[in-house]
Amino acid sequence: MSEDTTQNPTPAQAVLHVADLKGGYGQIQVLHGLDFYVNDGEIVVILGANGAGKTTTLRAISGMIATSGTVDLRGESIQGSKAPDIVRKGVAHVPQGRGTLNELSVEDNLRVGAFIRKDNEVDADMERWFDVYPVLRERRNQRAGSLSGGEQQMLAVSRALMSRPDLLLLDEPSLGLAPLIVKDLFDRFAEINKETGMTMLVVEQNAQLALAIADRGYVIESGEIAFDGPAAELLSDDKIRKSYLGV
Amino acid sequence: MDLFLNRVFDGLSNGATYALIALALVMIFKATTLINFAQGEFAMIGAFIVLVLATERGVPMWIAVILAMIIAGLGAAGIERTLIRPFDPADHLPLVIITLGLFLAINAIAGIVWRFDPRRFPELFPSGNALTIGSATLTWYTVGVVCTTLITASLLTLLLNKTKIGLAFRAVSSNLESSELVGVRVGPTLQFGWAIAAAVGALGAAVFVANPVLQLEPTIMIRVLIFAVSAAALGGLDSLWGAIIGGVAIGMVQSIVVPYTPIPNELALATAVIVLLLVLIFKPAGLLGTAAVERV
Amino acid sequence: MANTPRFTIVEGSPQQLAYKWVGIALFSLFLLLIAFAYNDTGSLTLLGNDYTISTPRLTKAIAFIICILGLQVVAGFTGQLSLGQGFFFGTGAYLSAWLVADHNWSWFATLLVVVPACFVLGMIVGIPALRIKGLYLALVTLGLAAIFPSLVQLEGLKPYTNGAGGKQVSSDLKAPDWLPLDGIAAIFQKIPLLGQYFGDGDLSSKESDRVWIFFLMVVLAVICFKLVSNLVNSRPGRALRAIRDNETSAAVTGMNLSLYKTLSFGLASALGGVGGIVYVAELGIASPGDFTQLISIYFIVGLVVGGVGTLSGAVIGGLVITFVPDWASSTQELPVVPERWLSGPTGPLIMGVLLIVLTFVLPGGVVAGTRKLKAKIVRIVPRTPDGDIAEIVDVDELLGDDAENELAAPSV
Ligand SMILES: Nc1ncnc2c1ncn2[C@@H]1O[C@H](COP(=O)(O)OP(=O)(O)OP(=O)(O)O)[C@@H](O)[C@H]1O
Ligand SMILES: [Mg+2]
Repeated sequence: MSEDTTQNPTPAQAVLHVADLKGGYGQIQVLHGLDFYVNDGEIVVILGANGAGKTTTLRAISGMIATSGTVDLRGESIQGSKAPDIVRKGVAHVPQGRGTLNELSVEDNLRVGAFIRKDNEVDADMERWFDVYPVLRERRNQRAGSLSGGEQQMLAVSRALMSRPDLLLLDEPSLGLAPLIVKDLFDRFAEINKETGMTMLVVEQNAQLALAIADRGYVIESGEIAFDGPAAELLSDDKIRKSYLGV
Repeated sequence: MDLFLNRVFDGLSNGATYALIALALVMIFKATTLINFAQGEFAMIGAFIVLVLATERGVPMWIAVILAMIIAGLGAAGIERTLIRPFDPADHLPLVIITLGLFLAINAIAGIVWRFDPRRFPELFPSGNALTIGSATLTWYTVGVVCTTLITASLLTLLLNKTKIGLAFRAVSSNLESSELVGVRVGPTLQFGWAIAAAVGALGAAVFVANPVLQLEPTIMIRVLIFAVSAAALGGLDSLWGAIIGGVAIGMVQSIVVPYTPIPNELALATAVIVLLLVLIFKPAGLLGTAAVERV
Repeated sequence: MANTPRFTIVEGSPQQLAYKWVGIALFSLFLLLIAFAYNDTGSLTLLGNDYTISTPRLTKAIAFIICILGLQVVAGFTGQLSLGQGFFFGTGAYLSAWLVADHNWSWFATLLVVVPACFVLGMIVGIPALRIKGLYLALVTLGLAAIFPSLVQLEGLKPYTNGAGGKQVSSDLKAPDWLPLDGIAAIFQKIPLLGQYFGDGDLSSKESDRVWIFFLMVVLAVICFKLVSNLVNSRPGRALRAIRDNETSAAVTGMNLSLYKTLSFGLASALGGVGGIVYVAELGIASPGDFTQLISIYFIVGLVVGGVGTLSGAVIGGLVITFVPDWASSTQELPVVPERWLSGPTGPLIMGVLLIVLTFVLPGGVVAGTRKLKAKIVRIVPRTPDGDIAEIVDVDELLGDDAENELAAPSV
């Protein structure tokens, strides 16, 4: 485990700063002390084998499981806070498997994404995401559970963005999507990141694509950080190429 | 023919009250897939509150009803907070046991406070007939109950579909984790469901005992709960309008099917149980239910 | 198992046999003492109220215990609650009363009709309800429990059930002459200091019959417990419990889960019927008011008090639901509590509060609590073939159900 502090700003300036994060399910400890950070405006990727603890890491950040250690959002501790409070602090989480609210209409899925907002620009935002994903506009009154997997993924991302988050957590957005759609989705993330400067922490199996749009990456093995570094470095690292890129 | 019409009207008024209690059951089932076995007893307490307010304090009837709905709602919210929320919502067994405990305790408390002698309930709707067709009469009571039920169901639909708390409630019903991840506070949202259910239930009990042929006593809602459970299951357990259709259907079965078949009158309640069994065999999701019914 | 017990006994050793038989002997002696002491409606006066324990009431408790044992089977094997045990309880009681009163059957012969009848009825109800996950069994059975009283009061059934008045039946269960009941009573009466609690002189014939019925029913209950505990430990029983909470694996193992669940519900209903036989044998009457949904919910109280999925918990549960409501209504005066409250339905109130409080403080029921306590004193360890001491199991001797017998508390 090495942290390249020479090249990067101090943790205090990070949007998200995690230190010695431990957590798990009941008696089973999954995370054994993680240290990482995400700077303002960055896209950071978390890679790792199945069962390494990537999903658990995101759940720990967004307050879905009990944790110990440090989780600071812009210097303020959110460790131990409940999920709904963490959302209000500006974290949006697209869960693995999309978490579609099946019985609600597409439009209501987006509205509920804006649940914490009190301003009156919700409709405008919704139109904006409808412009990005016109297929959602076509189906706005349809039950969300009847959308295809790819459409549900678009909906899940749009739903998370409806809260106008400061930090977006994405858990395997490419899962089950056709390669073309995945490519398009990642281009979209890069575009949003460039346009709005939104910070993103992405868990991904499709390392090639994710690292292509990312600034930095971490590799988790059995609940610990095994490697980290700038995306370009990880992409060219032999060991990582072998284990995670399959080339 | 006139007799038949009279029976239809009877079926309507009974069915409409079953529908109100079924609505209350559905509100809680939608969000938690739990049946509150004490729902009828919550409602019975509501009716007693109306009676006390109206006869002892001289509060006008409909204001008394609204106050009782508010009190029942607050009481249910308190019960949710103290007795229900501490348990894992996914583990039904302890929760069912708690609602059975509430059933016994609330019924007993009502028995202690108001005793078991039947009491006349003041009129909620004008007496007399709205319509006479031959010898068949449609009473204002029937008109009133049906309107109350339709208005309640419409208001509930609006509440769930047009308000923010309604959106939160539907979200929690649909996917608990995703709701938390968009900032919905699950506890208070479910509490809202319990409160609304109890208020609707109290209204249901009040209009039920406002029937001039009935009197109020603590055990009055036990039978009604069975009818309402069948109605809710027939409608689909998670559908508001399903509960209305189910309620009316059960009311009709009771007042039309029973007299025209060899089924003895005393077995009206049994027909509700048979309907429930038939629904489970042939259409477990009910008429309008959306919840996936998992077969074992 | 953090605490070391004071005594450790190896399974199969002479000490363990001795422990087992001493346990059984003590339990039998206890039953004898209880039967004779309370035969003459022994009562206890506390704060100006009389609380009775009597042999007839204990027999009634046995009826409830068998019904609750049935609920343990449903909860343990299907993970669901039945709110309709009262229906089968009532069916057993009425069937038995009708056969004895109108057809001169002997009590025990009615078992041959009641058990299969309740079994089949249970299956019919269970088939649709148990095929679907969720609370459906509870809904359907609650309905059944609610309709039972109006069912037996139907005009068409009046010739058999005698409607609202209840079906009366006189008992043919007479204490046999060869039984030295008077002799036993005489022995107890001679015990220094305590003798006075065992009455005076010979038993009247009514008293002898009561003691006789009590012991017959104890034997019947022990047989029921043995059967259920053997079933729980049988191969299908174990398999069923193992996959109960993970139903997808049932498909993988090729077990017909819903068939087994339905069969276990049938068994539970049959036990309800047996409970009904015991009840009416003691009471001499089956009346509609005894079989409302209230009794079904009381059975749930009994189930929860003893511990859901704990066979021996049924005993405690049965005793609680027999005596607590009785004693609650015998309580006519208490300091502080207003009299108006005491003359109301305090029994159901206590039962309701008990359900709620126990769910919070003692989710495993009383048995789980005492078992923990007992593990601190005595522990039986099984002997492995080479004589080494293997894993440690604690044993509940009296009813012959050990820790492995238990249907661990299910989750719906
Ligand atoms: N709810 C749970 N209860 C118990 N253990 C769990 C639970 N969820 C996950 N785990 C365990 O925690 C470990 C890490 O799981 P996690 O979901 O974080 O993996 P992951 O890295 O996201 O894997 P994948 O790439 O397959 O999504 C696994 O061993 C898993 O079995
Ligand atoms: Mg994952």
